[in-house]
Amino acid sequence: MYKYSEKDKQIVKNRTKEFSLQVKRRIDGYLTEEEFKPLRLMNGLYLQLHAYMLRVAIPYGELSHQQLHKLAEISEKYDKNYGHFTTRQNIQFNWPKLEDVPKILEELANVEMHAIQTSGNCIRNISCDHFAGINKQEVEDPRPWCEIIRKWSTFHPEFSFLPRKFKIAVIASENDRAAMKVHDIGLRLIKKEGETGFEVYVGGGQGRSPFIAKKIKGFLKKKHLLNYLEAILSVYNELGRRDNIYKARIKILINELGEKKLKDLVDERFKKFFEKKLTLGVTELEEIKKSFQLPFDKNIRSEVPKIKNKDFKIWRDQNVLNHKYDGHSIVMVSLKQYGKPPGDASALQMKSLSEIAKKYSYGEIRVTHEQNLVLPHVLNSNLYSVWTDLKKIKLATANIGLITDTICCPGMDYCALATARSIPISQKISQHFKNQLLQKKIGKIKIKISGCINACGHHHVGNIGILGLDKNGEESYQISLGGSADEKTNIGQIVGPSFTEDKLISAIETIIKTYEDNRLNLEDDFISVFNRVGIDKFKQDLYEKNNS
Amino acid sequence: MAKKLKGELFYLSANDLKTGEVVYYSNKSWSKNLKEARVIRREEIEEFERIAELNEKKCKIISPIFVELSDDGKIKKLRDIIRYKGITF
Repeated sequence: MYKYSEKDKQIVKNRTKEFSLQVKRRIDGYLTEEEFKPLRLMNGLYLQLHAYMLRVAIPYGELSHQQLHKLAEISEKYDKNYGHFTTRQNIQFNWPKLEDVPKILEELANVEMHAIQTSGNCIRNISCDHFAGINKQEVEDPRPWCEIIRKWSTFHPEFSFLPRKFKIAVIASENDRAAMKVHDIGLRLIKKEGETGFEVYVGGGQGRSPFIAKKIKGFLKKKHLLNYLEAILSVYNELGRRDNIYKARIKILINELGEKKLKDLVDERFKKFFEKKLTLGVTELEEIKKSFQLPFDKNIRSEVPKIKNKDFKIWRDQNVLNHKYDGHSIVMVSLKQYGKPPGDASALQMKSLSEIAKKYSYGEIRVTHEQNLVLPHVLNSNLYSVWTDLKKIKLATANIGLITDTICCPGMDYCALATARSIPISQKISQHFKNQLLQKKIGKIKIKISGCINACGHHHVGNIGILGLDKNGEESYQISLGGSADEKTNIGQIVGPSFTEDKLISAIETIIKTYEDNRLNLEDDFISVFNRVGIDKFKQDLYEKNNS
Repeated sequence: MAKKLKGELFYLSANDLKTGEVVYYSNKSWSKNLKEARVIRREEIEEFERIAELNEKKCKIISPIFVELSDDGKIKKLRDIIRYKGITF
């Protein structure tokens, strides 16, 4: 894991001190809310329906056991004994008091964490494949590149007041587990003629106008990464619209200018910077890479204990994946306990998981954008013990990738922007489909739920997407089908008129039935069936059987 | 603040600056207890807008809103019910 340098520590410490003074000035009346709002947002502090909300950055979704323990402590001391892991690999506390936030930031700084740039019109936390460095398919570990981008983008003076927020994701294999193509910039490490470099995608995003990012560079040499990013950002900063918040993202710019024009402008600017500004040297890169070395000997061999336990087998089949190195496994920790809010973890669960990670995963934990956690390196011989310990804290739900593994935003239960609730919908789905055999029969499927058009619940890219709307004061739910956030990223199609909450589960059941009726075999997944059968068949079945 | 308001009866609500908690304007102060909230009539809205503005300036509250009530004094909108009763799950 990356360890802060003295400079990093100082930067975070200074910012914490600075924000403490700003909070004091606000409380004492020297700053108005209008003046204070941009300052608090730059430190991840929102005002939601019931309380303030603090979003803490988890850089590229990687946590140490000490950090997870600290998050648990903060939730106990300053919040309501839980935290919410988000769809951008961060964590949110829903109930902090303004006067406590400086103390929270101080405690976070002690474990090398902060809330800087988790909000506001700046470059946000960098997303990454949660299997970075541990999957066999990747061309190289993308995390050092995330760290380089993090360093470059933190407090970047030119990009602190962009037209709108800006999100970057980095992956390094064919499989996209970071929803890379719905980011403002998506980077994929590839190998070409023996050299590793980046494919660069620009202009992806969700919200009210969803777009899939377009590839503007087929191969970028690694040493030029920051100059190229600088070129993209400076074009966006100059030409991105500031007159209309809904048209301010780079996805709108690329669609207004056209792909070629934007690419030409970026290339032109890149030429100006080329080998003059931020060219990466081998020494710096190697230094950063040292922080991301495997914490164990690659040659360790270990076998899974031969234990006859049906539940352990079910969990292992569903939640355990092969590690890059044979003696270890990757353990997915589901935060989708049946009937509970997706992504929530109690203080007790976080503390216990921190201990499990310390004991069995070299102290490392990852956060996925699908709101689950990962123990990245578990020795095979420890799998049974890990399962036993996870079960004790109700974190052994064997549903990774299944219908109850939904993504869900906080919705109107917390969020000031939401137009409908989303968590209760997720809970209903989870309760309705929780039978293990039923879930296995349905197979891999992604349901994603947003409580408003801002799409924090990624509904546009759900195989089944659910968008909560306000229809004359009543909650209603619009369904889209065929979306995907993986390597075949696709924006779902709206199937038709929306459903009231009481008819929604029946509607989902009908969709599942149409899918099952048209499957060729159990390997045939939802997207394949949808693409083959088409939306009309789903629509016909849905509205014949369910009056909206 | 008063734009697009429907109905005749309202509460004035906000979040407490220091704690973020939901509060309602009672007579001359802010209370977490809805039972103490002052019912405001449409013709009084301008007066209470000024009160809200003043209390914002005094750094007591932020984000003031008028909560629409039905004729029998019940909160109409789900969002406002959630603000009052808390999360629904």
